[in-house]
Amino acid sequence: MSESPILSIGAPGIDVDRLVADLQATVDRKVRDGAYADARVARAEKTNLVNLRGSDDFLTFYLACLRDAVFVDISDFEIRERRRFFGPLLVALKTTLWKLLKFYTYRLWSQQNQVNGLLMTALEGMEEQSAARIAALEKRIVELEKASGHGRS
Amino acid sequence: MAAPDRIAFVCPRLAGEGAVGGAETLLKNLALHAAARGVAVDFLTTCAQSHYTWENTLPAGKKRMEGMDVHFFPVDDRDVGTFLSIQQSIDRGRSVSESDELLWLRNGVNSAALLRHLERHAADYRAILLGPYLFGLTWFTALAHPERALLVPCLHDEPFAKLACMKRLFAETAGCLFNSQAERELAGELFGHPDAKSSIVGMGLDPFEADPTAFAKRHGLTAPYVLYSGRREPLKGTPLICDYMQAFRERTGRDVKLVFTGSGNIDAPAALWPHILDAGFVSEEEKHEAMAGAVAFLHPSVNESFGIVLLEAFLAGTPGLVHAKGRVLVSQCKAAGAGLWFRHYPDFETQLLYLLDNPQERAALGRRGRDFVAREYAWPAIERKFFAALDALRPRAT
Repeated sequence: MSESPILSIGAPGIDVDRLVADLQATVDRKVRDGAYADARVARAEKTNLVNLRGSDDFLTFYLACLRDAVFVDISDFEIRERRRFFGPLLVALKTTLWKLLKFYTYRLWSQQNQVNGLLMTALEGMEEQSAARIAALEKRIVELEKASGHGRS
Repeated sequence: MAAPDRIAFVCPRLAGEGAVGGAETLLKNLALHAAARGVAVDFLTTCAQSHYTWENTLPAGKKRMEGMDVHFFPVDDRDVGTFLSIQQSIDRGRSVSESDELLWLRNGVNSAALLRHLERHAADYRAILLGPYLFGLTWFTALAHPERALLVPCLHDEPFAKLACMKRLFAETAGCLFNSQAERELAGELFGHPDAKSSIVGMGLDPFEADPTAFAKRHGLTAPYVLYSGRREPLKGTPLICDYMQAFRERTGRDVKLVFTGSGNIDAPAALWPHILDAGFVSEEEKHEAMAGAVAFLHPSVNESFGIVLLEAFLAGTPGLVHAKGRVLVSQCKAAGAGLWFRHYPDFETQLLYLLDNPQERAALGRRGRDFVAREYAWPAIERKFFAALDALRPRAT
């Protein structure tokens, strides 16, 4: 959210275009500041990927979200039970089961985390390389256009 | 000889008979208003209520309903496997042969009995209005009587709209009644459909008063809530709002509930379920109350030709929160000055926080929406557009 009031709704001459533009400008700034580099955002965005593909800076934003979501959380967690009857017993049972399963699944999940991390690094590397190549090509095109006298400005 | 002033509507389901759907509601309402203005209307539909099973659950036959004759015809047997396998290919953007397109249409929703009825009676009708565009029933009926067929296509920018058979449908029928300028432009881009062969009509909405506290009281809701009404399915974007609301609750710590009305399965993260209220298929009155009490009406679909429920939410005085890629819904929010549009989760979070934290501004947005719909979508205005479209596209022969 922006710190100052964006505009006064209901006043003559206002429109939602401006409101949305102001809110989006705030969001864009916060995205650059890393406010949304969050595993929860990456998870939430999974169904929106298809709609974001054509957006500028989408890949950079998504990779930033993904970086925080890439590792499976394999640490212990608080086991709760909503049922009133046998609650403590069920918690004890689940805790025992988790301890037993952890022994078998830890190796699997840690390998998965290694794979995820490597894939993530590879993706980031590819994106950086592509961005650098495109920037170099754009610079070259501008130089060639200038040299041939067909520049856009 | 004068052409008969009787018109037919063809629609795969009759809205309200246990069925909910925007296109169905649109066609039924146009038919009812035409009938109320003294036009003889036959509404031709199937015996199905569920858009998943298409099982014939209503009795076949004719029924007089609200001034029009509703004819129920059984849905034909079909090879669902063949239909789904071709549909999956189309949906994934794969190239499909014209024969497979036809196979897909034949194994979609069809009714030979309805076609036989029109073989006998088509000449009785000045025009046959059909929709939505992507059903076999619409396609075969329209191409059997192209000179009388007026499509109410409810066209979306989706893979099915890019099939060769659809180009033929739009080219050969007498005309189209679009719901919005954005839909007309899409038909122009996809099929080169000329503006002269179409009109923009849409659907009218009757103003209503709804108690904004009634729904929450009835369901014991004490926290603020956002609402989605309609079919729940991936194409409508319902999994997206579930994912967004889960992230919103986790990241902001705000207790905002997610309310659904309508039909279909809800695909939501397990942790969100205690904060979802699935009211199911509710009466119009209860839906309006749910809308009036919501912080925002969520409409995440990017494939809409007309956002009826969004306009209803505006009428209930509730602002909309729609996806920025939903061309028609964004244009409705802009025109009404009553809704915001999000590109991604960060936008959604910021906009929902804005609406929660600024109740006066939210109420002002709601008022603007209500005024806009009452002014632009009053039935008398829509009826005028509808009859003008009929006169332009299917003039009375003299």
